[in-house]
Amino acid sequence: MLQCIFLLSDSGEVMLEKQLTGHRVDRSICDWFWDHVISQGDSFKSQPVIASPTHYLFQVVREGITFLACTQVEMPPLMGIEFLCRVSDVLSDYLGGLNEDVIKDNFVIVYELLDEMIDNGFPLTTEPNILREMIAPPNIVSKVLSVVTGNSSNVSDTLPGATGSCIPWRAADPKYANNEVYVDLVEEMDAVINRDGALVKCEVYGEVRVNSHLSGLPDLTLSFANPSILDDVRFHPCVRFRPWESHQILSFVPPDGEFKLMSYRVKKLKSTPIYVKPQLSSDAGKCRVNVLVGIRNDHGKTIDSITLQFQLPPCILSADLTSNTGTVNILGNKTCSWSIGRIPKDKTPSLSGTLVLESELERLHVFPTFRVGFKIMGVALSGLQIDKLDLKTAPSRLYKGFRALTRAGEFEVRS
Amino acid sequence: MFPQFGATADTLSKASTMVFRIGTDAHLYDDPDDVSIAPLLDSKFDSEKCEALKRLLALIAQGIDVSNYFPQVVKNVASQSLEVKKLVYLYLLHYAEKRPNEALLSINYFQKDLGDPNPLVRAWALRTMAGIRLHVIAPLVLVAVGKCARDPSVYVRKCAANALPKLHDLRQEEHALAIEEIVGKLLNDHSPAVVGAAAAAFASVCPYNLSLIRRNYRKLCEILPDVEEWGQIALIGILLRYVIASHGLVKESIMFSLQCTGSSHSVKDGPDADFGQVKESTDMDGTCDYEFVNMVSRCYIEGPDEYLSRSSYANRESFELTGEQFTSGKSNDDVKILLYSTSPLLWSNNSAVVLAAAGVHWVMAPKEDVKRIIKPLLFLLRSSNASKYVVLCNIQVFAKAMPSLFAPYYEDFFICSSESYQVKALKLEILSSFATDSSISSIFKEFQDYIRDPDRRFAADTIAAIGLCAQRLPKMAHICVDGLLALSREEFVTKDFGFGDQEAGILTHAILSIKSIIKQDPPSHEKVIIQLVRSLDSVKVPAARAMIIWMVGEYSSLGEIIPRMLNTVLKYLAWCFTSEALETKLQILNTVCKVLVGATEDLLTFKKIFSYLVELAECDLNYDVRDRARFLKKLPSSNLVSIGQEEGTNDLPEKDLHVVAECILGRETRKVKTESFSYRFYLPGSLSQIVLHAAPGYEPLPKPCSLLLDDLNVPEGTSEIKKRAADYSGTDDYGTSSDPSDNESASDYDSQHSVAESSGSARGDDSEFTSEGNDNADPLIQISDIGNASENQNGVSQSGPANLGELMSDRALESWLGEHSGSSNPGISEQSQVRISSARISLGDVGKRVKPKCYSLLDPATSGNGLKVDYSFSSEISSMSHLLVCIEVFFKNCSSETISEITLVDEDSNRALDAADKAADVNQSCLASSDNVPTLVPMESIASLEPDQTARRIVQVRFHHHLLPLKLALYCDGKKLPVKLRPDIGYFVKPLPMDVEVFIDKESRLPGMFEYTRSCAFTDHIEELNKENGDSLFVKDKFLAICESLALKILSNANLCLVSIDMPVAANLDDASGLRLRFSSAILSSSIPCLITITVEGKCSDPLNLSIKVNCEETVFGLNLLNRIANFLVEPTLS
Repeated sequence: MLQCIFLLSDSGEVMLEKQLTGHRVDRSICDWFWDHVISQGDSFKSQPVIASPTHYLFQVVREGITFLACTQVEMPPLMGIEFLCRVSDVLSDYLGGLNEDVIKDNFVIVYELLDEMIDNGFPLTTEPNILREMIAPPNIVSKVLSVVTGNSSNVSDTLPGATGSCIPWRAADPKYANNEVYVDLVEEMDAVINRDGALVKCEVYGEVRVNSHLSGLPDLTLSFANPSILDDVRFHPCVRFRPWESHQILSFVPPDGEFKLMSYRVKKLKSTPIYVKPQLSSDAGKCRVNVLVGIRNDHGKTIDSITLQFQLPPCILSADLTSNTGTVNILGNKTCSWSIGRIPKDKTPSLSGTLVLESELERLHVFPTFRVGFKIMGVALSGLQIDKLDLKTAPSRLYKGFRALTRAGEFEVRS
Repeated sequence: MFPQFGATADTLSKASTMVFRIGTDAHLYDDPDDVSIAPLLDSKFDSEKCEALKRLLALIAQGIDVSNYFPQVVKNVASQSLEVKKLVYLYLLHYAEKRPNEALLSINYFQKDLGDPNPLVRAWALRTMAGIRLHVIAPLVLVAVGKCARDPSVYVRKCAANALPKLHDLRQEEHALAIEEIVGKLLNDHSPAVVGAAAAAFASVCPYNLSLIRRNYRKLCEILPDVEEWGQIALIGILLRYVIASHGLVKESIMFSLQCTGSSHSVKDGPDADFGQVKESTDMDGTCDYEFVNMVSRCYIEGPDEYLSRSSYANRESFELTGEQFTSGKSNDDVKILLYSTSPLLWSNNSAVVLAAAGVHWVMAPKEDVKRIIKPLLFLLRSSNASKYVVLCNIQVFAKAMPSLFAPYYEDFFICSSESYQVKALKLEILSSFATDSSISSIFKEFQDYIRDPDRRFAADTIAAIGLCAQRLPKMAHICVDGLLALSREEFVTKDFGFGDQEAGILTHAILSIKSIIKQDPPSHEKVIIQLVRSLDSVKVPAARAMIIWMVGEYSSLGEIIPRMLNTVLKYLAWCFTSEALETKLQILNTVCKVLVGATEDLLTFKKIFSYLVELAECDLNYDVRDRARFLKKLPSSNLVSIGQEEGTNDLPEKDLHVVAECILGRETRKVKTESFSYRFYLPGSLSQIVLHAAPGYEPLPKPCSLLLDDLNVPEGTSEIKKRAADYSGTDDYGTSSDPSDNESASDYDSQHSVAESSGSARGDDSEFTSEGNDNADPLIQISDIGNASENQNGVSQSGPANLGELMSDRALESWLGEHSGSSNPGISEQSQVRISSARISLGDVGKRVKPKCYSLLDPATSGNGLKVDYSFSSEISSMSHLLVCIEVFFKNCSSETISEITLVDEDSNRALDAADKAADVNQSCLASSDNVPTLVPMESIASLEPDQTARRIVQVRFHHHLLPLKLALYCDGKKLPVKLRPDIGYFVKPLPMDVEVFIDKESRLPGMFEYTRSCAFTDHIEELNKENGDSLFVKDKFLAICESLALKILSNANLCLVSIDMPVAANLDDASGLRLRFSSAILSSSIPCLITITVEGKCSDPLNLSIKVNCEETVFGLNLLNRIANFLVEPTLS
């Protein structure tokens, strides 16, 4: 049972506190927490469960905002963490991103949301679609209205129908003139390429995102052409388990609006769409860097917004890096980022230059890892294909749309 | 390049944020109090009210106390606007506990709202009303919850379920049954949403009432997949507990495999012997580490504290699962349906649900089906970074218990550079724990990459992991050692570049890993040792050098080459001795000494080197080195003498010397932590498993089959204890003799203590002060033996009355059994291991001798006009209200004239109430008169008091604060005299009788932050001992005297109940260490139990060192009480 939730800005300021139970938590716990963050640095910030002298703390950090929940008694830690993740998702969805200003500016909404999402330390309503009906998200119309009239209420007067229905994720009987369903496959490719250039791990983490605007109580079935390639799956609560178990068919009554229907993983892929070949050779206190990037096999789609990032090792004094395509930036924290964009037809992008090592150091003994980013529209690299989407009791007109997108996830090239 | 663009971009972004901020509540957060809030709250426009409330909320968010607006805010609860209502509720819930009186004003509106046609309004009203948490309105809330539990709206019923834990939090015994009844009703609800919330309520309100689950177990299982996700987490836990309590563990599960095979293994041969076999057979066929799994499953059922402490007693057999406690997963429908209904949850979107479901399968599923949880668990690693860590912590245990489970998926544990250090370290540990011959080569390839990682701490961990792998898989040892050697020769580690500890750590870890590999099979690694020794010159890190030097000493007689090198090496060491660091110096001395002791040739050279080194060391700046030198000087000289004198017969002494040298010098140079794995296991998915200690409220699984079919209300575990008790009295003579009713013969203590008793009754006139006499004729002293010390055989005295005898014997037995868990208490366990046996004493008559301390209220000389008023705290408990403390007041007329009309009243009693208070008071009194407690219940006034006459009155007082004195007015002869009554926190509690078992159980549930200790000195007993010096024939008497004086002191200063006195038996007779007194009490106002344990340390005749421990949920109160106890124990007694 959570006792209190704090929202901390990235400078450690307590932006908001919400007491949840009778056992109040003093905000001095945040001072304790922040003192430790300062003294122990990032390794403390990445600790999700902390046992402080008086409370157990769960922390989730999103875009500089720390969500801190306190409890004094045994409870599943994942429940606390998962809940904080949901809170941050809902907030960033409502406020269009997360940062210190946007939370302070909309603190009333944050309070109202938290109050609906958790009661007495136990999650109450976390389904985004229902929350939207209970508390209206701020939008430009309501803002203008409030400026003009000085009055606007974002609290709904009625209980969303969904809370009462047996399908808690769907409001009863919405009406649409145009019935439409859009299905997106959004995939992220995780890959690790080791020092020898061998592909150690290559897998795809994907999500099936559905945006549905359907009248009444639609019952959808979605099937894949090749479900056998799926390694693991996780479903939105609306998916019925048994049809999946027996026939690998997704049968569900969708929530209204956008939601994540399922997430999946496809493991042991054989190749990556692009290759990155770093070469580092060091001698006499200098290190020559040369990185080549190119397309490995053509999917027929353009690869967009290619970026390459790496952390310069701490023993490097200065760096002089240039590229023949795109721009190279070295940020303050010794992060070097090279944004290439699209690969030009006529040449292979390459980054080269020299790094000056600390004095006394002959050769480099630690090597940076290159993180690669890219985006490919219109293709799902896992090879998953949607076979068909059916609607029982089809309305007169139904628009169906399918899209796919792949981008890099944890794509790492070691050097 | 273009600074002006930068500036423009900056202003642009500023401007755009300004645009975004228009229409939001930004200005309210930035300057919440730039207008006066009070008039806005009273405005008749909703919008203005809203603005005021938002400003208040902003102030709350910033941590500013705005509770002074409470009355004005509460008025707005009547508003029709839902937004105002919501904001008011937010404010109200934040401050209700602080301003209970004003909060009561809102109750009427809530009750009105509960009848509103809009379900949202009803739900909000219920949530807020229950959230206010006032004892006074608990009955009203209970009625409201009962009503809402029948509401047609699902949402309202769900909120009703959520309100139950809030009610339960108030700890009102009288409502407990009604609450449980509603929980049962809601669990039976047809809507899954309600069932989920009800399950959560069940888990916090009545987790032991598993009979509620029995009624609709099937239905709950079937509904489980439809319950909303958060409810699923709670419900899974409940169902698992129910199945284990009613059916026991599953025969085909992992938890069982260990029970049979594991125990038979460990009986036949030592665990080391069969470890090898297990490892050999650890392949893909699902075998597991029996010893380990055995430990895990026992920890799940008993809780690790209990299990670990018990296993150190070497009486493992006391908890043995029998075949009856197992059920077959194949034929038992209840088990099958649970597994069936939880398996789809492994696909849930909510990672907590997945882990909970995986936990059920881990414990209950047949071994071949456990595989099912692997993929979902691994998939969880792709969710947020925070949950990744938690999941890995759980996988770590699974993987250790059953390496074959995760071994094929080793690739999933390969490390990304973006992961946090904790995650990386965990992954390394998991990888090294299940590496197999087939996977090790790719794992090593990965490890080689990790060593080049810029995060050097992680690289050092990798090296340690390589060492671990090599130890697990001896085939790999040579490859590992070669790699490590190459690493240790690389320039970056050996040269001192001032990178600080990080590179040094890598080298140290590398050498350490090599060392541990060599240890497994020294002869085959002879060359490695030689190479290391050769590299001594280039290795600069002191810790690493010390380790290599240690190896020189340790393996000095290994093989052929090393003994021949020794001469040179030792010379080299002697040569560089002065420039070495401390730990290296010490190790050089040790090594040279070891070589000398074990050497057969070159003795003369070694001796020279040795004496040279000792000479150097004796002049060292560091005293450790000097001490070591002086100590070692003695050792080999005797060896050399013996060699010199009688060449032939020096076998024995030399052997001895070897042993001595081994014992003294053989210890490792420095322990570098390589394995952080702990042997404490908590249920998968629990918080305790992550923090590795039992968090408050952690419950291990119930004992298998503890839920009996016929007898549903038996607290779990008792049936088993009774069974064990029966076993014992049958087999063990000793068990029966601990039964006091059998033991009439032991009268030693009788005679000896009749003295004490008579002295007690001589002071019988004091007994009128103790209003609560102990009417049951307790035995004077009763020692129930709890150990195996034979000297205590006759230490049991007369039993109580015959009808009590039966009861007592049972309890004694149970406490006998309970004692083991008692010593599981960390911190005490070390000493209890030394002194396992202890006796339990009870002091029967101590109650009569309790003499509460008297304080002066009014001094006759200074201000009292001859009236002397003293008071003492009474152990009586007020019948009017739990907030009142009883005080005995003694009036004495010391003057020569009659004093009339004496009365004691509250100073503020006739103070005019202000308007708000009055309103609140009216409201309060009509709601619940029982809690409307005045500061002082007026005492019966004394009409007149003759000179030298005394009078005694009991007044009941309500202190508002534990520490601040209460101002009262004493009227006598028409004059008003102000007096101050100082509170004594020792009397803010009432005795809470319980037996030791309950005490220990309660104590174990209040660990960590609910436990405070202080120590102080105690001297009272010395006087007592001196007094009885004459007849100190019996040495035990000293203990008794100490116990008595200690118990008396405490009981005279605080209103406690003496639970038990444990006395060490096997101990030194003059040493009172280990004596332990336990007291229990409950806080008057809240009935929260408060447990006090006093442990004595020191010699009988000296001042004793007491360590006082208080376990109490009410932290502030507990601390105050602890301080009070420590203070009065130090104070000398006024005799």
